[in-house]
Amino acid sequence: MSGGEARPSTSVPRLGIGLPYFASLPVELYQSGLIDFVEITPETICRQRPTETAIELEIVPQQMEKARSTCAGLPMVVHGVELSIGSAHGWNTAYLEMLDAFRETWPFVWHSEHLGFQTFLGADGSTQEVGVPLPLPPTMEAADLVARRSAMILQRYGVPFLLENPAYYLPDPPSDPEIGDDIGLMRRILQRSGSLQLLDLHNVYCNAINHRFDPFEAVDRMPLDAVAEIHIAGGSWENGFWMDAHDGRVPEPVWDLLEYTLPQCPCVGGIVFEMLDEHVPKLGVDAIQQELTHARKIWTRRRQGDSNGVTRLSDFARTVSTCP
Amino acid sequence: MALLDFQTSLVRLVRAPNGSDSLQPVSLTADERGYLSDLTEDPAFRFTVKVQRSWCAGRAAKAAYLTLSILPGEVRDQLLEEWVSCGGGTHSFVGRESTAFLEFIASHLVEPSHELTICRMELAALRSSEGSLRFKRPNLSRIDRRDCFVRRGHYAEVVHFYGEPERVLNALTKREECPAISSEITTLIFGPGFDRLYTRATSNELALYDRLASPAAAIALSGEGFARETVQKLLNGGVIEYVG
Repeated sequence: MSGGEARPSTSVPRLGIGLPYFASLPVELYQSGLIDFVEITPETICRQRPTETAIELEIVPQQMEKARSTCAGLPMVVHGVELSIGSAHGWNTAYLEMLDAFRETWPFVWHSEHLGFQTFLGADGSTQEVGVPLPLPPTMEAADLVARRSAMILQRYGVPFLLENPAYYLPDPPSDPEIGDDIGLMRRILQRSGSLQLLDLHNVYCNAINHRFDPFEAVDRMPLDAVAEIHIAGGSWENGFWMDAHDGRVPEPVWDLLEYTLPQCPCVGGIVFEMLDEHVPKLGVDAIQQELTHARKIWTRRRQGDSNGVTRLSDFARTVSTCP
Repeated sequence: MALLDFQTSLVRLVRAPNGSDSLQPVSLTADERGYLSDLTEDPAFRFTVKVQRSWCAGRAAKAAYLTLSILPGEVRDQLLEEWVSCGGGTHSFVGRESTAFLEFIASHLVEPSHELTICRMELAALRSSEGSLRFKRPNLSRIDRRDCFVRRGHYAEVVHFYGEPERVLNALTKREECPAISSEITTLIFGPGFDRLYTRATSNELALYDRLASPAAAIALSGEGFARETVQKLLNGGVIEYVG
């Protein structure tokens, strides 16, 4: 990370290939040797509990027990979705309180959140949910807000904290020239906070298609020495947009992006194949195993120092030309 | 543009893209207002709105799964559309979404109707299931104390079926012809302490539940003709509970 004001305060262990925890998947898959670590979204084993003054997030003990027994022996990282770290009016403190309790029972190697916001201040002054995550504008105010909160999180948990680059469909939000775009926003936050990046290559691919830019050039501008984890996933076409739907196998151009990017990320600790729980039955265990095996081949080759000479522009151009 | 104003404006536009007053209460310059107005014409913005509505409809559909599954397709779609249009479907946790959406659906169904009964049953099952996670069997000997008061359980509900419950449920879920609305009512009583979260209520149990619309001294109930066993059964089922 060049020109940084803060450095990552904690090191990232090399874990390997990861899979999200889904209660619906067979236990054997998690114990098959295809997976080196598991990524858990704690909210999926929680429920909300209204109190007199707030709404708390409560871990459901039976679900926690099942998750732990399924993932027995595997290192675990957390991938949260409810923090809303970029909401100007305030973030979700109930999430952090739940994460405190979660860590007491099941310590995580690192944890991550999405760079964006999904709550806002309603007309009555209460916090309301948007219903979908939205991106932050690349402004100094947004960068400094998230950097301040990220630094607090790093201090609170003492393990690496990662921010994920989002997929977005909205065009050109208002920006400050010092920041420029979403890559500049991520860079400034990481520099200011000492947090790291969860580089979601499917999100980069999605944005590149929908906003018509070259994803390899975008990767070249990213702070790759601060990438601690990489996500790969599948998507699908809808209304002329490539959706970050997590509903299928990894598209070939995303594998190419992984081949290209991985050797340039010196501190990356793992690659996770993401999908949504509701699409797991359609995808099937065999396909999941094949995606994990494919990711491992690239991971292993990278460890052996072979970058495999990925063709950059031609594959992506071919993909865009097949847009419906 | 301040981040708070940007987020407020953007969310209002996404949640109500055709609302004329979306930007009114927010302090924006003319340029900022122009940017946001232009945004609404952009296909990518319209796609964002579509994604938001689709996510909300998906959450709501899961949140009232049983009730929606027994309604005719056009009624189901209409309810989902109206619910999302008035800001529903945004809760990321199914419990809150279910309660709010089922209450919304109930307000749109005919009274009495089998569909409304199923809607209330889904709501009752949800509440008692939620209560079962922290339900503790009460100490039944307390009912003999003079200072012991009882009331309706926080997670209890009664649901009236205008026909034999199994027949009604079978007909609705298999999309067969429903039995006619009967004047003979069967009541299920839901409580977090029951093994299956409900039991078929006897007339005495129902009378006790009705009696406890406001709290009463436990010791006085026997004087009003309520059997000790009935009080104990409903306490054990979480249908009634101690005050304090």
